[in-house]
Amino acid sequence: MIGKDKLFTLFEKVANSSKADQTEIVYIGGQSGLTRFANSTIHQNVNEDNNRIYIRVVKGKKIGVATTNSPVLNDLKTALKNAMMIAKFQKDNEHFPGLPGPENYAQINTYFDSTAKFAPKDRAKFIKKVFIRANRRKFTTAGSFSTGDGEIAVFNSAGVRCYQQLTSANLQVIAMSENSSGYGVALSRKVEDIDPVVTADLAVEKAFLAKNPKPLGAGEYEVLLEPAAVAALFEWVNYIGFGSKAFMEKTSFLSENIGRKIMDDGVTIYDDAVDTSAMAMPFDFEGVPKKKVMIVENGVGKGVVYDRTSAHREGKVSTGHGLTADEQGQGAIPLNIFVAPGTKTRENMLASIQKGILVTRFHYINGYIDTPRAVLTGMTRDGTYLIENGKIKHGIKNLRFTDSMLRCFSTVKGISQDVNLIPSWWDSVGCMSAPAVHLGSFKFTGTTDF
Amino acid sequence: MKDKLGNALDWLKSKGVDYADARFVHAESESMRVTDGVVDTLSRNLNVGVGIRVLHKGFWGFAGVASTRDADIKKAANKALQTAKSSALPGKPPAHLAEQEPFMDQYKSPCQKDPFEIDTREKVALLMDINKGLKKDARIKTAEASLDFFKTNKIFCSTEGARIEQDIIESGGGYSATAVSGAEVQKRSYPNSHRGDFATRGYEFIEEMNFLDHVDSVREEAIQLLSAEDCPDTEADIIICAPQMALQIHESCGHPTELDRVLGTEISLAGGSFMKLENVGKLKYGSDIVSIFGDATIPGALGSFGFDDEGVKAQRFPIIKNGLHVGYQTSRETAPMMDQRSNGTMRADGWNRIPLIRMTNINLEPGEWELNDLLADTEGGIFMDMNKVWSIDDQRLNFQFGVECAWEIKGGKMGRMFKNPLYTGMTPQFWNSCDAICNKKYWRVWGVPNCGKGEPMQTARVAHGASPTRFRKVKVGVSK
Repeated sequence: MIGKDKLFTLFEKVANSSKADQTEIVYIGGQSGLTRFANSTIHQNVNEDNNRIYIRVVKGKKIGVATTNSPVLNDLKTALKNAMMIAKFQKDNEHFPGLPGPENYAQINTYFDSTAKFAPKDRAKFIKKVFIRANRRKFTTAGSFSTGDGEIAVFNSAGVRCYQQLTSANLQVIAMSENSSGYGVALSRKVEDIDPVVTADLAVEKAFLAKNPKPLGAGEYEVLLEPAAVAALFEWVNYIGFGSKAFMEKTSFLSENIGRKIMDDGVTIYDDAVDTSAMAMPFDFEGVPKKKVMIVENGVGKGVVYDRTSAHREGKVSTGHGLTADEQGQGAIPLNIFVAPGTKTRENMLASIQKGILVTRFHYINGYIDTPRAVLTGMTRDGTYLIENGKIKHGIKNLRFTDSMLRCFSTVKGISQDVNLIPSWWDSVGCMSAPAVHLGSFKFTGTTDF
Repeated sequence: MKDKLGNALDWLKSKGVDYADARFVHAESESMRVTDGVVDTLSRNLNVGVGIRVLHKGFWGFAGVASTRDADIKKAANKALQTAKSSALPGKPPAHLAEQEPFMDQYKSPCQKDPFEIDTREKVALLMDINKGLKKDARIKTAEASLDFFKTNKIFCSTEGARIEQDIIESGGGYSATAVSGAEVQKRSYPNSHRGDFATRGYEFIEEMNFLDHVDSVREEAIQLLSAEDCPDTEADIIICAPQMALQIHESCGHPTELDRVLGTEISLAGGSFMKLENVGKLKYGSDIVSIFGDATIPGALGSFGFDDEGVKAQRFPIIKNGLHVGYQTSRETAPMMDQRSNGTMRADGWNRIPLIRMTNINLEPGEWELNDLLADTEGGIFMDMNKVWSIDDQRLNFQFGVECAWEIKGGKMGRMFKNPLYTGMTPQFWNSCDAICNKKYWRVWGVPNCGKGEPMQTARVAHGASPTRFRKVKVGVSK
């Protein structure tokens, strides 16, 4: 950790040498470690000590961006020079409203010393517990356990000085027999929240129940999607639909559906980055406070998230979802998504299904098929089961689905009151919070051999 | 720098490591994109650091540091050593590395025009011109054009005495037009989807793609797609264009023949492979005309280099020969499972990551057919053009691809256009239905700049040589 004072002192020096109208410096850095295991042995064990510094300069309506991973004054000045050179060659961006000034930011704790101090040998101890639990029932395991600490600082010449320290810990376990697998996951900013025994036992039990899977034909089924499966679907739905770029380009299913019913009454989805029950983060990479944004409320399309440029273009106000300066072309995207819980238990929902399929998680989803209808395709993985008469009957071989998420989330029969945190593409600054969901109809379009 | 890395390695040797290597990487990149006439991305990036990998008593540890100071490198070396010691839980057979000559050499990728020396205004002007052309029709809601350039200097040193320096320049670019009408969204791209085509070459590669010559056809085809018929749900003979073949090879042959996947060490993220060790030399992967090689020696191809990140020289090696599965992509640790030496596919996407088995240029050998003859020989079928959707199961068997556009083949000729085409299948059955491959004239190596693998995630730039190829009786059109 470099620390708030040192970073801002350094950035003041860089900004003081800037000839731009406005200068922004964003720092993301820290240490992370990841221990990977397979065949119940550790086979990869890595550490990284790194920084990313993004310098954005504004000359009139021209913007230049340069990045470096060296927090040394001379290297930052070189990056500043590169950014200035780029701005000189730029065309005017009429949509850019300028850099923001300071605002009030939520004061939340996202840093835990215990996680920051967690060493490779500590990770190994946790993983050993996973191996022991799985070995007892004659399962092998694969997975990863990562821990890390970092700091994010946003500085600009308009007075923004945002700083946040973060930690994260994530354990993923896949338990395997010769013809089945099961999945367990745990994510928190606080390593004490990660229980390797509980996570391993969950994966092992799922792999046990999935043993000797039987083939089941493709078709339309009632499904019980567990939280990891729900999160994976909405991670893609977010990517194609909840951001400002897709919305403005009219490729999002929300573009023509604000105020319209698009899913079942029970479906509420929102982004709330300051909810510390998940992987909270109080400001975005432009130094704008994160605001809670309702995306789908009781099945009705409500809105999308904005950064400053896309908000200005649409006559809106930034919701605090700006990405780093080099990614500004992607528009804004939610990073802290909550699929709201319901009132049921997983057991209630399971018991109510006469014939259906329980899906633990999905693999390799792709959502570019037909974005206005939010059609996704993907495979099931690590625990797929036939449900008959309210009980798991046996494991089934994996299936491919291809379906519109608008269609199938209009057939909701129940949502669990419990939610799980599921890691997502955006790593330590966000995640998905998802319940289990019981859908009346879900289309499986293909089969495979395992 | 070699001395600095050498000093750290000497220190590790004195601590009794089995093996260690150190990589210095100085990576520059430039990325630019113009969307609807606005330069929304224009950045220069620098990423410098050292990664040290240690094998101690058969267990691995790695540490990367964003510094080139001696003290920091030594600290990273110690952290890698301590981490390797912490990996030593009972049960794992210690890793042994295949023998490798410790090269002292250097390599430079071919480059006539350094893209970092080309005036940024010229590059932005090209993207602006493309945008203008694409936006000539109001039905084009979004026009995007992008260029990406990478310049990497890396130095590899090992405790075995290897000292290798490589300078690699990579260039790429492409564009797309998205047409929208109500709830209908259709896209066409050039020269390929997903940011275009890439090569380990200089700016001459961009110039040779003649971007502006194709703007009108991309715009018009995107608009035509809005009113095209849906691709039928049927079983059909399909001819797949070369850039889509590149992704087909990537997903259904490239990934399942990475030996680390086969051995289960990628299960936690990407999955395993149906191409098991015991089936080498027995699995009829494809029809007799299907031969697939890995080849990192093709000058200018995106997956080419001089040496991999274990110091193994770039090679050409067979994976599928006349339909039979004969080999894998290997590393020094995994190759002994095959009683072989590494075929040089270990690459890391930066100083801060360990090398993993990554595709190089995984190529389907060209066949004998002229494209017109192939069309004429296809009584009824569908021509599939350019990737839009990709998905495959975690053993690499059931795949489903969508393409931007398809055309009916009727009476041996290309006919009406279809929108939203998908095709799906099971890998070995699909490749065994391959009955015609176009010849060298149509064969080209296509760069894939975004191959994800590993934890933490790494992005590799790889490539695939392919020409238009025909498959019989494929399930088509399953989006409804």
